[in-house]
Amino acid sequence: MSSALLAVAELRGRLLWRRLTGRGGIGEGVARVALFLLALPLGAAFATALGVGTWQAVRAGRGLRVEVAAAAVFFGLWQTWTAVSLTVNDREGLDLARFLVYPVRPGRIYAVGLASGLAGDPIAAFWALLLSGILAGAALARPGAWLLVLAVALVLFAVATVLYVALLQEALSVVLASRWVREWAMVLSVLLAVGAVVAVVGGAPRSWRQLQAVAPALSVAQWLAWPAAFTAAAVRRLYAGDAVGAWPWLAGQALASASAGRLAFAVALRQSQGGGGGEAAGGHARGTGWRLPVAGPIAGLLEKEGKYLLRHPLARMAAVVVPLVSGLVAWKVAPLVPPEAGDVVRALPLFGVAAYSHVFVQAFWLNALGWERGGARLLFLAPLDGADVLAAKNLALYGLTLGVFGLGAIPILVAGALPPPWALAGALALHAGMAPWLHAAGNAVSVLNPKAASFAVQRHASVPALSGLAGLAIVSVVTGAFALPVLLALRLEAPWLLPAGWAAMGLAGGWAYRRALRAQGRLLEARRDALLPVVCGDEA
Amino acid sequence: MLAIETSGLTRLFDGKAAVEALELRVPTGAFYGFLGPNGAGKSTTIKMLTGLLRPSAGSARVLGLDLARRALAVKARVGVVPDGLALFERLSGAEMLRIHGQLYGLDRATAGRRAAEMLEALELVADAGRLVQDYSHGMKKKLALGCALIHGPELLFLDEPFEGIDAVAVAGIRRMLQDLVARGALTVFLTSHVLEVVERIVSHVGIIHRGRLARQGTLEEVCAGGTLEEAFIHVAGEERAPPRGLSWLAGARPGPAAGGGGPEGER
Repeated sequence: MSSALLAVAELRGRLLWRRLTGRGGIGEGVARVALFLLALPLGAAFATALGVGTWQAVRAGRGLRVEVAAAAVFFGLWQTWTAVSLTVNDREGLDLARFLVYPVRPGRIYAVGLASGLAGDPIAAFWALLLSGILAGAALARPGAWLLVLAVALVLFAVATVLYVALLQEALSVVLASRWVREWAMVLSVLLAVGAVVAVVGGAPRSWRQLQAVAPALSVAQWLAWPAAFTAAAVRRLYAGDAVGAWPWLAGQALASASAGRLAFAVALRQSQGGGGGEAAGGHARGTGWRLPVAGPIAGLLEKEGKYLLRHPLARMAAVVVPLVSGLVAWKVAPLVPPEAGDVVRALPLFGVAAYSHVFVQAFWLNALGWERGGARLLFLAPLDGADVLAAKNLALYGLTLGVFGLGAIPILVAGALPPPWALAGALALHAGMAPWLHAAGNAVSVLNPKAASFAVQRHASVPALSGLAGLAIVSVVTGAFALPVLLALRLEAPWLLPAGWAAMGLAGGWAYRRALRAQGRLLEARRDALLPVVCGDEA
Repeated sequence: MLAIETSGLTRLFDGKAAVEALELRVPTGAFYGFLGPNGAGKSTTIKMLTGLLRPSAGSARVLGLDLARRALAVKARVGVVPDGLALFERLSGAEMLRIHGQLYGLDRATAGRRAAEMLEALELVADAGRLVQDYSHGMKKKLALGCALIHGPELLFLDEPFEGIDAVAVAGIRRMLQDLVARGALTVFLTSHVLEVVERIVSHVGIIHRGRLARQGTLEEVCAGGTLEEAFIHVAGEERAPPRGLSWLAGARPGPAAGGGGPEGER
């Protein structure tokens, strides 16, 4: 490693150390350790299950057990790994643009950024444990030299997935930054929505199975998930005792990974060297943009928040990823639910999307002031009430999540019949009911533990570790509480309990939110001395 | 009538005074230059007077109102261009001006009309639709000034308004401010390091050094027959000798790769 690259690594280490020993650093450090402590037992439990499955598959050698252990496990692992990395996982990376000035090869900087981002990531430890479980299960079933080849396959799988995620993140940030693509995506979404309504009302192809029959080529889509596809092909042969037959697949994996990494780096470098795009805000020849048809002091705040959210790549990604995830669920999971499971169980994917639309954008409610930068000063310079500032943020975010929920519901509605009215009402009540609880708790976290965040999804953390831990607790408690009506509805076989229960919980949340908002507004005012240097980026 | 009056205004950071027992007197309609060397407490003072920072002790009356008790009423009547600016960089210039006006209580139509007028005055019409993040530093300064003026403030705080912008932009901003003060529409309180510009535009001066107000009065009183620079150096310290050392910069030498330069190579 060159001295310059060592200096980069040292810089990362020192900055991390300063952050942990600086203001609020102890809390951050404790949160990181707590996240690792949470990841380890959880990972160990899943690893044990994977180990048992692998042990059975290796003992069987061929057949259904091998198919499950090779295909389902790796595709499942890859899918969750990618989804988590793209959405809730917010590990820190190096900003390539800031290092281009130094005489160090940008490729090495990029590689160091990827590696060091993984080193401090509790979720990376979770995946590593799962892969260890597979290796341990195989070793117990059939000890031998072939385990080295399996270890190589697992390492290649991990590397391939990391590079795949990097490529996806870079590609998405380019694609979503293009106004032309965004506008066409919106047109497509509207067409899709109209098509969905026509399909549901008109009784046109109502299941993914029928769509698959029309387009058998869909099975080729597995190669879009090449990290899992290559590994599954190699592992099938390894479990069957054909180590030599696995090598071509491993070579293919290595080649595809190298290509993906190279491409991801090329895209990142191009973006870093591209500078500001000089993009017009759009909407008006003189840039005054769209306006909200509301008056009063909160109108300006609300409009600013709306524009900020819609211009943030995370919001755009939510509009793409949430429908994709719900589409996957509608395609792969929903058809497996037997009819005798009942209406409530069949409506769970729709309810899941309602909750997921809040969770996906948790960075916005856990670090609500993180993107203000210098503009945060204006929130204290202008004659504004702190409570109004927070309320505007919450209201704008609620609008965004409602839109994301609507987009995410489309694939589920297309895949099945129109859900019963109680299910639709329930989903809307669940979405609206969770918002005040999440936003009230999020406001407190945002004011007490803010962090300057960049306008990107792939670089820099947008939520501090302590806030991330708080978010985990908040989401767990709120979703746990909102799951109670489901259990009650299932037990009493009374689906109508869901909209009624969730509406009642939402009303209680609204009351609690209003009570908390005034106090949180005062807290925002009181904490301005500590908050501004952090949010404005002076300490970033 | 005083636009700003402070009494024992103090701010401590970790027990150390950044501003100590400040007794400012800024007459209404004055063009007040608040000067001091780096770290003297200028920005801290402005932050306290505009509500960005809470004083550790003392009090301030701004436009006749107690800042601690009537903060919102004071904020509505002042405009501020703070150090580091206060711009939402993901809004376009036109959006920033209009929304800024709305945040200060203007109705949407008035804010929009004034924003268009301000863009003309600041010569930013061609860039009105670009995001603020893509503006040059000088353009951002001009836009920040426009934002500070859009609601028609009675008192304007400017923290280093001439820093990092070219001479043409400095002249434009100077002319606009002088015109507004001459019309009697505004009191201006500004900090700056550009003494020659300050000397040409201010009517009153305060010099702060190590957190304490060292001098205050009209320009003539503070300069006492000399120049503002002389008065400033007299308060803030004599000219310093150039730093010693830096011997490797003394003459043309090969770079470190070819010549093994750097501290090790000199031993």
